[in-house]
Amino acid sequence: MSGIPDTYPIDMAPLKSDLKMPYTLTPGRAAGTFLAEIVSRRIVGTSFTKSGTVVVPAQDFCPSNGDAEFEFIEAPETGVLTAFTETEAGLIGLIRIDGTDVDFPHRIVGAGYADLSVGLRVQAVWSDNGAVGILAIAGFRPAPEAPIGAIKPLANPAKPLEVVPYEMTLHYEHAFGPYYGRLFDEIKTNRRIMGVRSPSGDGAMIPPREICDITHKPTGTWVEVAQTGTVRAMSIIYLEFLGQKQPPPYIYAEIMLDGASTRLIHNVAGLDMSRAKELVKPGTRVRAVWRETRTGSLDDISHFEIIDAKDS
Amino acid sequence: MSRHVGIVGVGQTHHARRRTDVSQAGLVREAVDRALSDAKLTIEDIDSVIVATGPVLFAAVNQPEKWVVDAIGAQLKPVVRVTSGGGTGLAGTLAGYYQIAGGLVDRVLIVAYDKLSEGALQYSISTLYDPFWGREFAVGIMGFSAAYWRARMDTLGHTEEAAAMVAVKNRHNAMNNPYAHVKKEVTVDDVLKSKPLAWPIKLLDVPPISDGAAAVVLSSERMAAKSTDRPAWIHGIGYFCEADNAPSRSLLVSEPLAIAVRRIYRTAGITNPRRQFDLVELQEPYTCFELSYYESLGLCAPGEAAELIRSGATQLDGDIPVNPSGGCAGANPIGAAGLIRVVEAAAQVMGKAAGNQIPNAKLALAQAGGGWANLRGVAVLSA
Repeated sequence: MSGIPDTYPIDMAPLKSDLKMPYTLTPGRAAGTFLAEIVSRRIVGTSFTKSGTVVVPAQDFCPSNGDAEFEFIEAPETGVLTAFTETEAGLIGLIRIDGTDVDFPHRIVGAGYADLSVGLRVQAVWSDNGAVGILAIAGFRPAPEAPIGAIKPLANPAKPLEVVPYEMTLHYEHAFGPYYGRLFDEIKTNRRIMGVRSPSGDGAMIPPREICDITHKPTGTWVEVAQTGTVRAMSIIYLEFLGQKQPPPYIYAEIMLDGASTRLIHNVAGLDMSRAKELVKPGTRVRAVWRETRTGSLDDISHFEIIDAKDS
Repeated sequence: MSRHVGIVGVGQTHHARRRTDVSQAGLVREAVDRALSDAKLTIEDIDSVIVATGPVLFAAVNQPEKWVVDAIGAQLKPVVRVTSGGGTGLAGTLAGYYQIAGGLVDRVLIVAYDKLSEGALQYSISTLYDPFWGREFAVGIMGFSAAYWRARMDTLGHTEEAAAMVAVKNRHNAMNNPYAHVKKEVTVDDVLKSKPLAWPIKLLDVPPISDGAAAVVLSSERMAAKSTDRPAWIHGIGYFCEADNAPSRSLLVSEPLAIAVRRIYRTAGITNPRRQFDLVELQEPYTCFELSYYESLGLCAPGEAAELIRSGATQLDGDIPVNPSGGCAGANPIGAAGLIRVVEAAAQVMGKAAGNQIPNAKLALAQAGGGWANLRGVAVLSA
């Protein structure tokens, strides 16, 4: 690293960012049938025409050759353990259901690690708490005495489940690094927006960075940019969407702060929104309005307000 | 000297707002079956596979290529996943092109898809933005796109009326496209009066949100004859990037598209695009982008896009039809949208467009891009 001229390192705790994403997944015909049937305690698989491969849980395509022709089968509740491990969440094993050709993972219940061995006979234990999906089976328990089961054609298959609600919550911690660290520390502490001079000397780059994107040369010294600027581009947002931080309507704007050579994305507000089209345009002069609260983010700027022609 | 590469088979799904009958993998299979059948081949004939998709957040399946290869019978074949937002299908085609042009393989299957009904679209797209710098203000790419359209209104005269004419044309063209998801004619007035979403972008300036997949089989010259006597030869293909928040960036025109056009036109011998191309398939997806690309692709001079659409030149019977398929206005499964442009442009020069075949089409341009404006590319296809 070439060092940060005219600056000091800032150790900021990482930015925590949580993404909570809802989904409506489509299982397709085979897995959809498996999911529809498992609530009735029938384990459904597919038997592929060309290869004869039998797969549980049911799949649309043969795992060995992609064949799409199959018949549904009802699988027995018994099988053998083909691999296992102990995790914080308990014992996990690979199960090969009797009469099938492909293993699948599930929980091992009613046993300790020492009780397990590859080849152990196991039997499904059904959940009694109304769990759906693959967890309608609570797990597989050792069943040395269980007779070897057989697959049979599936009688009267249920209509496949078409939609499975799902949610993924992702927790991120983004490191600031020394450049963003100083930028946001200055925003929080001194209410200053700091950039770095570009190697060519034409205006400051915000956010500050170590290397210029165009010349690939190290950037220069730190410089404060003005809190006034010019709207380069703007849009009036009416769309509502999940994850949105404020209720519409509001103005999305890309602003060139005076003295900067790069854009800043923010909102222009504090105006009569019914006249937004005429009041905010490319070229409109704006000024940052700070919030009382100090979080060390761009959100410390509440919005940009229009500078009246007579003020500027 | 690199080897010639041709498109010898194309396929796409029937696109829809939500395909409840197939999983993501099943959707891919449908497009692959059609492309292989079109190329008179089976998966055994394919040397290498490229799986192209949008961001994984769209559908919650990470590394989906492992699921896809099982579904198309490509187990144990070389596979690479390419992801580049809306331009991913063109980027995937480029990856396949390199493999054949470099002499490493003879046939590559490229498949691209997205099942947008499954996730929260604008929220997912907003994660393109820097989490420190702009993400909290992002409106997918719609806010950005609308903002710079507003700026182009002042500098280049890309009016709301001109953009509305793009919507009218593309939605009209989609009426004849058997794979299109949206088939409804609209008028300029309908578009102008439609609900603003991110003004100046209004509801009818926006493509549908679709589930869909597309697939293409690329072949070396040596092996092409088994599939067709009329491949769509790739005369040039490129995909370029730019720095995201570099100094003094205008954003009024797409810099990477300008680079792609300059480089690929030179490779393909294009000196007068409007006269030389028989048609263009471009990835709008918002109407304002089509106006911008008319200028970037050299179909008219900067500032003349509004006049070009008004003149009717880009309609089916004009001298340079743009998006005879209907473009993204007909269907917009984002990860597949770029490859659908390639499929439609290839089908035109192969003389088998499913919808509006342009008579005697010999030379076509396909354009696609990803990110907000940072990634853009073109392909020149010829009979």
